[in-house]
Amino acid sequence: MIATPQPRLGSLGGQYRHRLGSFGGLGIALVVWALYAVYFSPTQGWTFFLQLSVNGIILGSIYALIALGYSMVYGILKLLNFAHGDVYMIGSFIGFGILTLFGGALTPVMPVVLLVLIMFVVAMLGSGVLGVAIERFAYRPLRNAPRIAPLISALGVAFFLENSALLLFGAQYRNYDGYDLISYNGIHLGGDAGVFVSYLGVIVISSAVALMVALVCLVRWTRFGKAMRAVSFDREAAAMMGIDPDRVIAKTFFAGSALAGAAGVMFGLLFSQIYYLIGFLAGLKGFTAAVVGGIGSIPGAMLGGLLVGLVESWATGYLNGNVSDLVVFGILIAFMLIRPTGLLGSPALQKV
Amino acid sequence: MLKRVGAIAAVAAAFAVVVSTSAWGSAKAPARSAAASKSIKCGKVRTIGVAAPLTGPASSIGVQQLHWAQYFVKRWNKAKANKNQQIKIVQGDTQLGVDTAFAVKVAHSFASNSKMLAVVGPAGSQEVVASTSTYKGGGLGWVSGSATRTTLTDGHTDGNRNGFFFRTVPNDSVQAPAVAKYMTGTLKWKRVYIIDDQETYSQGLADGVQKILQAKGVSVTRNSISQQASDFSSVIAKIPANTQGVYIPWQLAPQAQAFGQQLKAAGKSHSALFGSDGLFSPDWKIAGSYDSFFPVNTSDATVQGFVKSHGGDGQYFGAPSYVAAQVDTLAITKACKAGHGKTSRAAVRKVIAKTKLKSSILGFPVSFAKGGDIHSPASFGIYQIQKNGSFKRVG
Repeated sequence: MIATPQPRLGSLGGQYRHRLGSFGGLGIALVVWALYAVYFSPTQGWTFFLQLSVNGIILGSIYALIALGYSMVYGILKLLNFAHGDVYMIGSFIGFGILTLFGGALTPVMPVVLLVLIMFVVAMLGSGVLGVAIERFAYRPLRNAPRIAPLISALGVAFFLENSALLLFGAQYRNYDGYDLISYNGIHLGGDAGVFVSYLGVIVISSAVALMVALVCLVRWTRFGKAMRAVSFDREAAAMMGIDPDRVIAKTFFAGSALAGAAGVMFGLLFSQIYYLIGFLAGLKGFTAAVVGGIGSIPGAMLGGLLVGLVESWATGYLNGNVSDLVVFGILIAFMLIRPTGLLGSPALQKV
Repeated sequence: MLKRVGAIAAVAAAFAVVVSTSAWGSAKAPARSAAASKSIKCGKVRTIGVAAPLTGPASSIGVQQLHWAQYFVKRWNKAKANKNQQIKIVQGDTQLGVDTAFAVKVAHSFASNSKMLAVVGPAGSQEVVASTSTYKGGGLGWVSGSATRTTLTDGHTDGNRNGFFFRTVPNDSVQAPAVAKYMTGTLKWKRVYIIDDQETYSQGLADGVQKILQAKGVSVTRNSISQQASDFSSVIAKIPANTQGVYIPWQLAPQAQAFGQQLKAAGKSHSALFGSDGLFSPDWKIAGSYDSFFPVNTSDATVQGFVKSHGGDGQYFGAPSYVAAQVDTLAITKACKAGHGKTSRAAVRKVIAKTKLKSSILGFPVSFAKGGDIHSPASFGIYQIQKNGSFKRVG
């Protein structure tokens, strides 16, 4: 028996002892960083540090939702679905379409809460269906092909989606005007000079948490979740137990893509501008988050997303906007070299 | 063993590709030089290209440039005297802000169009830099109505395009002092935060304004954010609460709009925004913000005619492209006349360099210095965005 990095989908518990080391190291690194940032960096102070952290958590919530899709698909198919970022882009356009259909941000024809809810639901459904279609036509025919084939197919789908969006929606930026729709106000923690969290930010964090909790419940306590874990563990054995792997895989694609659609709407509401190429970088960041957290691990994807968001925010705040991507992708490389299984991924035993 | 053979084969293949590409490039160069002096029959319809961001994040300004160039051509073609010297526009979409590769692609298509005699555009300074070798290789002269980066015309910093590139707008060495003067003289700002968008145009302008402000004793903090960024929260968190103004010499108006919205959401809207000519667009509508922009003579009858024919929308960003199309057309007409119905791209370029317009819709005469800059340019105007999103001149 030898150990090879084979993380498992839905690895929610049971191996915490192995992970204590990771958490301990990460915790110490974060505390050291926080103390340095607050007391020794040129831009000092807890307020600034906490403000950047809040910004990073909001951004990280979006990355976490994208990372979940990567992780779920990898967990069940061992496939890096590089089209996932573009599913997220399509989700943001669907949300924008609904917003425009119902009067736009400045003159909505229905209560804002209802409108936002419809945007989320339709974007999630649309993205989910798109995910299922991608799986059916681009990946399923290659199920037994060499692993490079679906990877190339994924890249092809990504370009197909980008160029389809260019043809359908044009190359113009579309502006959600999310703050006009919801509110420019927010919560001041620690007085006017303290940390500010916009209501929109609160909505993004709470929606992301709700979706992640729902996903965890789905994976842990439903028949579909059990089937998903079974297929992830051993597809052939699961099939022999009466589980239809194709059906489970399609549902997994639906769930992962729906989360990406929700992330697309969140992005549009929070950062206003969307266009046909937003999926590229966001997809890479989501992938980074999935790798950092441990690709294949659902809690790992969440943790990875938050970490990537935080690191990006801190890098922009303490260093410069020039280097934030450098730092984020530097971390990806570091993890690939030092701990390829990520923070919560664990090496599985493989018989040779 | 097989692996090693495969690796050697891959390296050899890569080497072959590099060598053949270089060879192709060097073999192509003389052919392109020949294109410059190749005789072109003028005919009754002469072709010019308009390279502008017709789609993409900067499309709002690119479409304005196209409209103004088309407006000139429409007027020209309508005149009886020009019945046998009509002008036809070929459009090229450079998608400014997405990738300069689009501008290069447009330049290639223009250069390989055997009827193409001169070009209007491209819009962005980085596009000018990226497409220089293609236009030069094709022997084409090109006149931009918006590329303001100072070093484009100095003949060495960003490459030498003397005799090929011209512009009908004052450059940033004129824009930066105008902006700094308004900030310190009229607005009395003492603390300014400058954020460039990491593009050459933006960095050059930001450097220029920063230098002048610091020389005048203004406290300046500098930062930078990618032109592709959407999340500005961390940059906004760095802006000190007592900052009076935030200078954003960017090219993408939707990005400036998102920045303004996020600034307001962060409770820092007391810091006024100040943009540059690249943001003079209906997509940027944060009321109270300032913007510097090329001079346009709004009392000119031609300008008023454009406004009337476009439903009252001046689209003034495109006005210098009208002059660029005018320069191209006059040069082609003159070169064709001198060549008795035949001309060449090189001949057209030479005439462009000598073109002299005693007056223009911009409110000043147009003629070109050696590097392609206009002689004695007027200063930039300062505008403020009103609640209805319109730009009102304030300085």
